[in-house]
Amino acid sequence: MGDDHRAFLDATLPYIDVVYQVARHAAISGQDPEDLVQETYLRAFAAFDSHRGENTRAWLAAICLNAARSEGRRRRRRPPEVLAQELLDALPMTHADAARDVADVVIAGLDARAITRCLGQLPEPQRLCIVLMDVAGYTARETAEALGCPRGTVLARVHRGRRKLAQLLADAGVSHGRS
Amino acid sequence: MDGHDRLLAAFLAGDLDQAAAREWDDHLLECDQCWQAVREDRAGRQAAGLLYRPAPAGLADRVGFAVELAAGASSPRRSPGVRLRRSWLAAAGALAVGLALTTTLLHLPGGRATMSAPVAAVAQYAETMLPLAQQAGLGTGARAAPLQVGHPLTMTAGGHHIVLRTWRLAGTEVAEATSGQPFPMPPGARGTSGGGMAWVARVGKLSLYCINGRTSELVAAAVPAAELPALAARLPVV
Repeated sequence: MGDDHRAFLDATLPYIDVVYQVARHAAISGQDPEDLVQETYLRAFAAFDSHRGENTRAWLAAICLNAARSEGRRRRRRPPEVLAQELLDALPMTHADAARDVADVVIAGLDARAITRCLGQLPEPQRLCIVLMDVAGYTARETAEALGCPRGTVLARVHRGRRKLAQLLADAGVSHGRS
Repeated sequence: MDGHDRLLAAFLAGDLDQAAAREWDDHLLECDQCWQAVREDRAGRQAAGLLYRPAPAGLADRVGFAVELAAGASSPRRSPGVRLRRSWLAAAGALAVGLALTTTLLHLPGGRATMSAPVAAVAQYAETMLPLAQQAGLGTGARAAPLQVGHPLTMTAGGHHIVLRTWRLAGTEVAEATSGQPFPMPPGARGTSGGGMAWVARVGKLSLYCINGRTSELVAAAVPAAELPALAARLPVV
């Protein structure tokens, strides 16, 4: 397995951005999303021999979600921790936003915090579908593969989840994103 | 979700054929309830899209480095053509790597199968990093103060939180690991003076020297075991 790591990295590193999107929203409280991405890749590397030929993006998402669940089970045996990840997520961005108006960036940051909070109120199946499709950019088929459910179920869940999310945001007085 | 909603979801996903999609277009002009559902779907999708954040710069390097280490741990012998890229060495220094190497490191080849995960992880780190530090070409005289190569690296192995540093000292490279938990004595190690708290061992070309205490320190270098305690004594207290 050792000498396969180049092939593994060539096949998987192009998807690190989408895996990071999944990790940010799958990570449990107290878990660093970057640690989760790394754990995902280490698990994927260990299983790479049995993977080849399948949809790599979906495969990585499934591993990431499983790794987050494993960590969640492990941490349930420990005292709860408080992490400021949600606050960090809400901070204005530094890359693409560099040229944007400061007020827009701050408003977007506030909206992101509200959206994250509202997203967290959705049932997990709907939330995961939204994270995979609308945040990370997975197709419905890839999402179905990652979650191990039919594509039609994914479409139904993401539709219900989006509507519920929009309603929660409206109730919270967040207008950004409303048409 | 009833059949009507399922059709609407299929319409929004672009799954309907042209004729059926046109029917839905017409329907949406007349049905306020469905039009509201479409608007909410779009609003929810737009809002969720705002949560996208690009992966941090350096994350790919960090992951690549961790996989390199895991590959080295599971490979009997690193092939001559397989080396850590220098960029990863640099990136590794700036990163707090939460390595979960327990599984792979418990099955290390070369007689390390029975070595505890924390000690095996430090040995693996030293085997990987010390040659690279040597390539960096930092020179210090025999009497010069230790020179740290890169930045500290943090990893977790076998439940131990370990901070790793690489030093250039007395013409050689030294890996230093510190932990709040003791490093278990590996098979073949022998205790040294210090009441059983210290031990030395050989792992391949490396010597290991450990002083367990409130903060435990494990030092690794490609020097004779007898020379390592003196080198370790010259490292700064962290």
